[in-house]
Amino acid sequence: MNKTLCLLISLFLTGMGFAQGPPILTGTPVMLGLEGNGLRTFGKLIVKEEGLIYVQPLGVPYNISPKFQVGGILPFKYVKPGEAEAALGLADASAFAKYQIFKRDGRAKTFRILAKVQHTFPSGNTLTSPPIGAGIHQTYVGFIAGRISSAIGLYSDFGYVFTSRKAADRFLYNLAVSLPLLPQQYPQKQLNTLLELNGSYLIHPDLHTLFLSPGLQFIPGRRILFEASFQIPVLFRTRFNIIHSNQTRYVVLIGTRFLLH
Amino acid sequence: MKSFLKSTSPANLLFVLLGLFFSILSANAQAPQDEQRVYIKIEIFGLACPYCAYGMEQDLLQLAGVEEVDIQLKEGLAYISTPVEQKPDKKEIAKVVEDGGFTVGKIEYSDKPFE
Repeated sequence: MNKTLCLLISLFLTGMGFAQGPPILTGTPVMLGLEGNGLRTFGKLIVKEEGLIYVQPLGVPYNISPKFQVGGILPFKYVKPGEAEAALGLADASAFAKYQIFKRDGRAKTFRILAKVQHTFPSGNTLTSPPIGAGIHQTYVGFIAGRISSAIGLYSDFGYVFTSRKAADRFLYNLAVSLPLLPQQYPQKQLNTLLELNGSYLIHPDLHTLFLSPGLQFIPGRRILFEASFQIPVLFRTRFNIIHSNQTRYVVLIGTRFLLH
Repeated sequence: MKSFLKSTSPANLLFVLLGLFFSILSANAQAPQDEQRVYIKIEIFGLACPYCAYGMEQDLLQLAGVEEVDIQLKEGLAYISTPVEQKPDKKEIAKVVEDGGFTVGKIEYSDKPFE
């Protein structure tokens, strides 16, 4: 774990002349190309100690201007808790807005910061067993920052999730490093490798989880992208030694993005 | 040559001369077309990844007379050309780049393709 953090920090420090992208699980401050007007979907399989969850969201971002993007996410969810019966259906839908608050461009490199607000509605069914929806309103307020060049991409996002009905608020943070495996030319096939850290800190009850997520991305042309990521839990810590059952063993994600414009 | 002129009827001779005249005309028409193109080199800052270059390519193609865009990522340069009569001014090019989400640098014009 410490070695991973050292690697990430050293990459952040030494990679200031470089970068790549877009990350799979971390936000990107670039709202252009395959992060702009298009479609994004992925299948996410969460394997837990008791059962599994499959989520298939469809995300549609729309650029109002190069600085301002809005969008919506509609997820389909399947939950299979161990031996019990499974439930499936449309889960909690969300809408988001991103606004670029800082941009510093250089030759073949850029550093950008966005502010992001995302609201998740309790649209998923909570009467099923197990429930498909969370049954609460959730509002994420955070920032996305990234330093991208033709040799390496460094991305980070962090934010706070406010919840309704006295549910637990949480702090989310993600870090990503993206390295191209093929020469960076345009247009050309791209193959990028990614290493991401995805953390969540639940305020009450106190619970800190962290996943290490290696990933791979293939861009065969100008308008389509394929990606895969594997998330391994590396930290599951609680201050009061509360025993949490049904922990996540691993997460597999396979997805695509398609540019409409 | 004399025997050729003797054996050729005036009508055929006229036909050959007309053919020569039109071929010269057509060659002259092509040459100015090539010369009348203006080549433009645009320095674009922030063009860091191939996946974000697509939007810039599409935006530059919207400029009148642009048929092809050559983007050199590492150098942060885009090359376009237009017919002289459709030459876009620097302000117009800068607006396309800025509206595309990037920062514009130097814009150079040339009557020959850049190397």
